Amino acid sequence: MYIRIDGKQVEAKKWDTILSAARRADIDIPSLCHHPALETVGTCRLCIVEVMMEGLAERKVVTACETKVAANMEVYTRTESIRKARRTTLDLLMARAPHSEVLQTLSVKNGLEPRMHPVIPEANDCVLCLLCVRACEQMGCNAISVSGRGESRSIAPPFLSPPDACVGCGACARICPTNCIEMTDSPTTRTIWGKSFERTRCESCGAPMMPVAYRQYAIAQRDLPEDYYAQCQECKRKEISLKYADLVVKVQHG
Amino acid sequence: MDKMLIVNPAKCTGCGTCKLACSMTKGHSDHLTRSRIHIFTISEVEHVQVSCLQCVEAACMKACTIGALVRNEATGAIEVQEDRCIRCGLCEPACPFGHMHFDTRSKLPQKCDLCFGEPACARFCPHGALEYS
Repeated sequence: MYIRIDGKQVEAKKWDTILSAARRADIDIPSLCHHPALETVGTCRLCIVEVMMEGLAERKVVTACETKVAANMEVYTRTESIRKARRTTLDLLMARAPHSEVLQTLSVKNGLEPRMHPVIPEANDCVLCLLCVRACEQMGCNAISVSGRGESRSIAPPFLSPPDACVGCGACARICPTNCIEMTDSPTTRTIWGKSFERTRCESCGAPMMPVAYRQYAIAQRDLPEDYYAQCQECKRKEISLKYADLVVKVQHG
Repeated sequence: MDKMLIVNPAKCTGCGTCKLACSMTKGHSDHLTRSRIHIFTISEVEHVQVSCLQCVEAACMKACTIGALVRNEATGAIEVQEDRCIRCGLCEPACPFGHMHFDTRSKLPQKCDLCFGEPACARFCPHGALEYS
């Protein structure tokens, strides 16, 4: 199947969305909340495009990440109305997260100079893209979700208390595009979502490693021997190199 | 996969050129901690280079349930698909040989991908202790 994006003919599979077809053809459509490995939610609204296809009287604005391709679809990614709408979206996102590098890069890349919007005083940099929630869901923990409606909508653990289901993997904090989830690692503990996790130590050198709860999770969820998680990377490398050296000596000297 | 990275510790002098080549190629820095190949000095004359073994039944691939670690059939190397990674960091402790590194700066796992078929470490090794053949 072929579709046309900004006048360019692009090959698309029937399960493609406009965004995946465009990305494969090296056509850049800005997006913030899209992640190829996670469920699509279309919250950031930055990937909006205009489409024209059979059955439509006039061009329609849709999110590229959620819309499936159709035969003979015409997609316009850089029209004036799309630029204006994207700029407003970006302005509103930047009012929530004014210091975000990702948003600043996006605005520069797309030639959208942000207008000065009043910064929301209680803004905590969260743009509600739900990447953290989806990552947590993918890990099988479901420790955080959306709380509140309207203005008070935020990402939080249940009842705003330290979540029981959290294992301290830190995927939410690392995947966050605006770095607004606080995770602190000290040599003994990791703190995230108000919960403290004791960290395991390397059996050989005592270096701090993953949280104890995360190790238990890893042993239970992944089909790998328990002793794989016992040592730090450095000690594992040392052990294998010593074994390897022994082997070389044996081979050389019979 | 018709080529593999062959290490020969008997020829290694521990000069560290492979580490520098790796850091410059993959880490874009001359900082040797960015290297994905490591040299252990056992005695003054004995050095062993260790790098990812590209295991057939790889623990890192088993730990990654999202499919962000994919084997490149052409080179046989396991590569990190950065856009698919959800940064859970499980691949790092899963590797039994310590060759998976989770970089806290880029928040992405880093591993040897054989430079997509042209490993810089082997190209720059002045003593022939690393060969890609």
